[in-house]
Amino acid sequence: MSLVAEALVSQIAAAEPWPENATLYQQLKGEQILLSDNAASLAVQAFLQMCNLPIKVVCRANAEYMSPSGKVPFIHVGNQVVSELGPIVQFVKAKGHSLSDGLDEVQKAEMKAYMELVNNMLLTAELYLQWCDDATVGEITLARYGSPYPWPLNHILAYQKQWEVKRKMKAIGWGNKTLDQVLEDVDQCCQALSQRLGTQPYFFNKHLNIWKFTVHVLSKSGLENFEHYFTIMPTELDALVFGHLYTILTTQMTNDELSEKVKNYSNLLAFCRRIEQHYFGKGSSSIRLS
Amino acid sequence: MAAPLELSCWGGGWGLPSVHSDSLVVMAYAKFSGAPLKVNVIDNTWRGSRGDVPVLTTEDNTISQPAKILNFLRKQKYNADYELSAKQGADTLAYIALLEEKLLPAVLHTFWVESDNYFTVTKPWFASRMPFPLSLILPGRMSKGALNRILLTRGEPPLYHLREVEARIYRDAKECLNLLSNRLGTSQFFFGDMPSTLDAYVFGFLAPLYKVRFPKVQLQEHLKQLSNLCRFCDDILNSYFRLSLGDG
Repeated sequence: MSLVAEALVSQIAAAEPWPENATLYQQLKGEQILLSDNAASLAVQAFLQMCNLPIKVVCRANAEYMSPSGKVPFIHVGNQVVSELGPIVQFVKAKGHSLSDGLDEVQKAEMKAYMELVNNMLLTAELYLQWCDDATVGEITLARYGSPYPWPLNHILAYQKQWEVKRKMKAIGWGNKTLDQVLEDVDQCCQALSQRLGTQPYFFNKHLNIWKFTVHVLSKSGLENFEHYFTIMPTELDALVFGHLYTILTTQMTNDELSEKVKNYSNLLAFCRRIEQHYFGKGSSSIRLS
Repeated sequence: MAAPLELSCWGGGWGLPSVHSDSLVVMAYAKFSGAPLKVNVIDNTWRGSRGDVPVLTTEDNTISQPAKILNFLRKQKYNADYELSAKQGADTLAYIALLEEKLLPAVLHTFWVESDNYFTVTKPWFASRMPFPLSLILPGRMSKGALNRILLTRGEPPLYHLREVEARIYRDAKECLNLLSNRLGTSQFFFGDMPSTLDAYVFGFLAPLYKVRFPKVQLQEHLKQLSNLCRFCDDILNSYFRLSLGDG
């Protein structure tokens, strides 16, 4: 969206509260959606769950073409359509909900940097695996991507998308990478995420709870027990990391190397299980440990 | 005696050892880690391919791309990061990703796509370091490559229109510069008193933007307002590159 359109959307967004019938569109879950799109969609769903905003997931074969930016997922709220996690976070913020307000400037910079790391390495590696690795392309991607459409459209759409993705890989210097080098990069990225997470439940743990702080100051209860004003909350970074890692761990690919890389880091596995159980209400985790 | 390490890279100007970001990153890292590099500045007699620059040549092999060169230097025990904690190492990766996603498109645009800048400054400079007839072809190809990269990573299919992207990439770049300035604060380097890989990358991206004289200076003006980032670049230039500037 151009800058003017973005400003307009923010302004309109601020005017109305979050409706009950907000919907999220993605491709068909069982037969069509690919790893990278599933990860992006799950990240947005996790984010909205964390903000406590109700959303209904609708699957459409042409979700990619309905989206204003060509990327899934996108949400339809009131009479506005917003796609991709970044703009959705801004949109939700304009409506008065934010997960990262309690962070200071340095923490916000770190959060943005880690989100770029996930997009730069994990998402690009997923795209590489889906579209540039011949084994995966032949066995999974080509069959899935155009599956709702009749022949020859399904083939044409898949090849067109593959050409687009390969162009992008070449432009950013990933065109000559081998699968092993890509898996190395994924390992490096997971190592960085694991080191940053450490033993904490979420990536950023001490948000100043402005409400609690203000109430205490106004009631003149004094400022002892400063720890009391901090809450442990996830941020959009947690939603994004969860979306990608959970999808990698639970999607069946031609080889398991990608999920094996993630499984090496036990705190990341615990992180995914924690968010799955807390925000998606599943009694037992679908993450296999084998 | 270690095998000589030779680095071929683009030369300098406007007070910088090199005007090319990737070359500058490698040169800065080598200075920080104490790696003995013999720097060969590309001029119009150089025979190799200019697409891979900077290129590190050792006895056994040639390595291109800054990330790979830095990895190689680390394996040779020239490590500028050994004092960093695990979390700081992770932060380094994250901030480098931020630089590449948010700052690089605007830097590429300022150097290679903005027509006033490209035709009056960038193209003549690079063309003078290439033999005829490469000097007619290669700058244009580099410019096209930069435009391609910007459109494919930040543009929106199917139209990939440049004008809509321009405003967004400059806004993102300014935000990124603000974030870097906030993160640096009043410290000398990003992680304490010793420079590390992140400092090399930030220096490599910022210094050309800071020093090269352009007609269209939108992003440069913004950078000049962030005095701690300017002080950061000047400090590194004065401490680590003063001697080589004195010679040439």
